Amino acid sequence: MTTIEEITPVFREVFDDDSINLTTSTTADDVEEWDSLTHMNLVIALELKFKIKFALGELQTLKNVGEMLDLINRKLSR
Amino acid sequence: MLFNSLEFLFLFLPITLVIYFLLQKRRLAIAAKSWLLFASLFFYSWWNVTYLPLILSSILFNYTIGGLLVEYEERPLKGISKKGIFLFGLTANILLLCWFKYMDFFISTSNDLLGTQLPLLKIILPLGISFFTITQIAFLVDAYEGLVEERNLLNYALFVTFFPHLLAGPILHHKEMMPQFERLRNKVLSWKNLYLGLMLFFIGLFKKVVIADTFSSWATAGFDSTQPLNFFSAWFASLSYTFQLYFDFSGYSDMAVGIGWMFNISLPVNFNSPYKATGMIDFWKRWHITLTNFVTTYLYTPILRAFGRITFTRSLVAVFLAMLISGFWHGAGWTFIIWGGMHGAGLVVNHVWKKNKLPMTPFWGWLITFAFVNFSFVFFRAKSLASARNVLEGMFGFNGVMLDKSLKKIGFLGDLGFTFGKWLEGIKGNDHTWIFAIVALVTVVFWKNSMEVVERARPNWGWFLMLLIISFWSFLNMGKVSEFLYFQF
Repeated sequence: MTTIEEITPVFREVFDDDSINLTTSTTADDVEEWDSLTHMNLVIALELKFKIKFALGELQTLKNVGEMLDLINRKLSR
Repeated sequence: MLFNSLEFLFLFLPITLVIYFLLQKRRLAIAAKSWLLFASLFFYSWWNVTYLPLILSSILFNYTIGGLLVEYEERPLKGISKKGIFLFGLTANILLLCWFKYMDFFISTSNDLLGTQLPLLKIILPLGISFFTITQIAFLVDAYEGLVEERNLLNYALFVTFFPHLLAGPILHHKEMMPQFERLRNKVLSWKNLYLGLMLFFIGLFKKVVIADTFSSWATAGFDSTQPLNFFSAWFASLSYTFQLYFDFSGYSDMAVGIGWMFNISLPVNFNSPYKATGMIDFWKRWHITLTNFVTTYLYTPILRAFGRITFTRSLVAVFLAMLISGFWHGAGWTFIIWGGMHGAGLVVNHVWKKNKLPMTPFWGWLITFAFVNFSFVFFRAKSLASARNVLEGMFGFNGVMLDKSLKKIGFLGDLGFTFGKWLEGIKGNDHTWIFAIVALVTVVFWKNSMEVVERARPNWGWFLMLLIISFWSFLNMGKVSEFLYFQF
């Protein structure tokens, strides 16, 4: 199971902000630097870390940390 | 058929609703959905039945291609790869759109630039083609990437044609729509949804027929004028259009979402007080939200991925290109390309500003954004570059500043070089024009939007009275037929 503890460092590095604390209900609106541009950096950083690939149609669901974790876990269990 | 027509309001909508829920009540789910599909196709064919075969072929074609893609792992086709099928489907959709929407633009551009003398084809744009083509392109991409699970032709056809969104959005995603037609509790009439849906519908109707249609006359007079416009005439023409477009398109979207609710179907929200935006990034999170999502997902991301390793600069280039294409999607003309380019450039500046943490107060951010958006809509509205130029020259004061003749008594104004007379005559305006513009500005900047209003609505007499007032006011203005602006795209 991937947990919040595993993805938090990715967020902190991509957004260059060590004060980021995530919960499953965090969304793109809650993080100042998280916009459509940095979203792609985040997606690609996650793809590299977990060695998975997201489809285009999945990118909008990734704007919510809870759904992001669900999706990563589903991909890893495949 | 228009939402703002009496035949829609008093015949089509009630009949469709009643029969749909009667069939659902008798547990004839397939008959109910078939009825809704039939009603939607009837709605589409009301004005011009010529393009019915076109939309039906488009649906069958994309459904078939989607099916081949979904089942490719189990039943691969000989001699053609999965990617080949996908590219074939994608190309067919783009070619369809090019033929009906862009052919004359390509021909006239070639005539201008290369000196060819090809005759124009004068093809009439089929209603809704831009919208049903891109929703289905998204479906093909998702089918190719393995995200399509549900395979049901009736649900698919209903998702594409469902009449509230068919002609001008909101742009739907099959993943959020198709399951809704299956959900059990959606099949029982809900009085609460009906009430809230009607409420939202009538607010939308009011925005369209009372507010947008009022601004429309001044905007049209200004943009169609071949005479030079003075400073204030030009500004009020462009502001009138900025308000007309918002109240027209968001009014239409409210009506679409409201009708969806009556059928227990939730359509995505398209507007969130866009003129409150304090930056260009913020603006596109609030304006035509479903288009922003589509452009980000299916244009910006593939462009960026095609570049290879992601850098800040490459992201900006991708943003600019995506907005340029999105501008061209709106209409086949240089004015739309310029409009898209302006918004691309605006987003780039906003991103650079943000990355370098440059200062900006909310007030200045709002003012710059609103002014920039207002200038960009001059190109969006103008039928030609010459017409855009005419309005812009007025706005930059090339034709002098005329004040209302009542101000002539204030001596020093004349010394400053102002002239006096019928200052808004150029756009057939009067005192209503500037008063309406100021009221509209205050409303969109300081007031709640329709979604926020409806969220607080309760079934009590106060709200009922408000509903009665705005619906009667709207009925009084419904004598004339006026299309929604986004039907032309």
